[in-house]
Amino acid sequence: MAVLRSAPLRHLLRGLVSAVIVVAALFPIFWGLMTSLKPARDIVTFPPSLLPATVTLEHYATIFKAGALGFLLNSLLVSAGTVALCIGLGALAAYGLARFEFPGKRAVLVAIIAVMSIPVASLLIPTYTLIAEIGLVNTHVGLILVYSAYQLPIVIWILAAYYQSLPIELEWSAMMDGYSRFQALWKVVLPLSRPGLIAAGLFVVVFAWNDFVVAVTLLSSEDTRTLPIGIYNFLGFYGREWGPLLAASMVSTIPLLVIFVVLQRYFMAGMTNGSVKG
Amino acid sequence: MIEGSGASIEFRGIGKRYGETVALADLDLTIQPGEFVSLLGPSGSGKTTTLNILAGLISADSGSIMIGDTDVTYLSPDRRGIAMVFQNYALYPHMTIAENLAFPLQARGRNLSRLAIKAKVQDVADTLGIGHLLARYPKEISGGQQQRVALGRAMVRDPKVFLLDEPLSNLDARLRLKMRRDLKALHQRLRSTIVYVTHDQSEAMSLSDRIAIYQGGRLQQCGTPADIYRRPANAFVANFMGEREMNNLPGTVVQTGGGVVFKAEGLDLTLPSTLSGWARFHDRAVTLGIRPQGVQIGQRADATQCEAVLRLVEHAGTEQFFYAQAGGVELSGAAAPDTPLAIGDRVSLTLLSRELYLFDTASGAALVQGGDLAA
Repeated sequence: MAVLRSAPLRHLLRGLVSAVIVVAALFPIFWGLMTSLKPARDIVTFPPSLLPATVTLEHYATIFKAGALGFLLNSLLVSAGTVALCIGLGALAAYGLARFEFPGKRAVLVAIIAVMSIPVASLLIPTYTLIAEIGLVNTHVGLILVYSAYQLPIVIWILAAYYQSLPIELEWSAMMDGYSRFQALWKVVLPLSRPGLIAAGLFVVVFAWNDFVVAVTLLSSEDTRTLPIGIYNFLGFYGREWGPLLAASMVSTIPLLVIFVVLQRYFMAGMTNGSVKG
Repeated sequence: MIEGSGASIEFRGIGKRYGETVALADLDLTIQPGEFVSLLGPSGSGKTTTLNILAGLISADSGSIMIGDTDVTYLSPDRRGIAMVFQNYALYPHMTIAENLAFPLQARGRNLSRLAIKAKVQDVADTLGIGHLLARYPKEISGGQQQRVALGRAMVRDPKVFLLDEPLSNLDARLRLKMRRDLKALHQRLRSTIVYVTHDQSEAMSLSDRIAIYQGGRLQQCGTPADIYRRPANAFVANFMGEREMNNLPGTVVQTGGGVVFKAEGLDLTLPSTLSGWARFHDRAVTLGIRPQGVQIGQRADATQCEAVLRLVEHAGTEQFFYAQAGGVELSGAAAPDTPLAIGDRVSLTLLSRELYLFDTASGAALVQGGDLAA
């Protein structure tokens, strides 16, 4: 209230700028959502109407009949598997880097950063060859392994920085209280690292959920496809049929959006933490 | 696992270095069962290193540690039967006070029933007067209360050895005095062995059975508070103990026709015949030390005397302290609170013989302690 009275103009200006950014960012999604709910004949009317005159779920029915549910479940499975593997391995690796001194530790840290800066596209062929060698092409396990390999560095980096921000006395205290180091990690460090874990998890889930390039390379059959490939195939299949296309886009966008809205404060906390400490 | 009341602790030749820096040099120290020992020293002197090595949080480079009859040198912290209170309390922020207190009891291998844990937690909380806070979280209670919870979490499993790392340093002055008294009472009741790290000499003096005083990674002296205060092993210990620093007068001892004289800068102090033994130190550079309490106004038979001009007077409640110029040196002294003192006054000062110390200037080793020749 004091801010409002002392600098009402600045307050108003800040609100306006925020509003413009919000509209610019959300309008395409809103437009897509509205369009996906319109009957096919209303979509191409001129002048275009923002809100649908009649609401229909026919496009959603169309894509689900065409197998979108399978793609959705595949995406969920692969994303969940990647997050679980990345957090499981990353939480332990990061703890080692954050709390132990060992020869070559600096080299490991530098290597992790270096790996992060390699573009995924340049790794595509070698990883494909590797996955083919071990017979995991066109399997979800193969895709999860590759996603985890790509995302582990950032997870380790975020978590190591987060652990270092926790007072070491908490772990010492747990050890004095009769717990092993691993138990101290499990009962004290991990519960307190929730913001870091969530931030790292979000990075992974965004990548795994949205990835197209890696999935399209590694997956060949229809029954293993994830949502982005599924939508891409709709593009060819339905041509200019905007209704089913946008319905498919919504199915792929909205889950991530919801996760972000619910967890965004953790994401910000984890990000800033990593940036300051790292 | 070591449980029950009071275990002995023995450090045998413990050393620790970080690169070129010696954190702890060849420490030999034995602590009796049930003893309250303070590790005292400025920061970086090795006292916290000693504590962390004893706790098993860092490993020593050399030497061994015994707790009771067990060699714990290579045991992990959870298997040493030690409880520790950290300077920042290290309460688990995601647990309530009750959960914090129960945490040590739930560790694997203790096999206590839920009811037994609940009863024990309640018992400890009531003892410390925090029974009404059990449902709260650490951030919802005051610093003094957090301190008690940290103590309670250490007490709850009746350890044989307590380690306290500057536990009172985050409290305000009044609360610190109260907690000091409570700690002492607690020790008298529990009779556990307590190792207490502090940089506050008055805390160490008032709490400890014995004080181990450190500097630069070395144990300088270990003894009762009275012993350390009256018979400091060297100039560092002498200056570290006591509310105020000693007067330190570098000079030489000279045998003259009129007796033994201590020559400081622009000041000759003729020593009374009782101190004629000091003549043996004539061949080296020495430093005369005397606490302000030993420098008094007025003349006294058979004591060291000098003339001085008052430069500054401070009132400190039960007494007043003054600074006086005597020759080329400034002496601080103490007087009764009702003594009329004015800046610029010429006064006669007496240096009480039993308050005189003499140190070798080069090594700092004590040559005379409280007027007596050092053994």
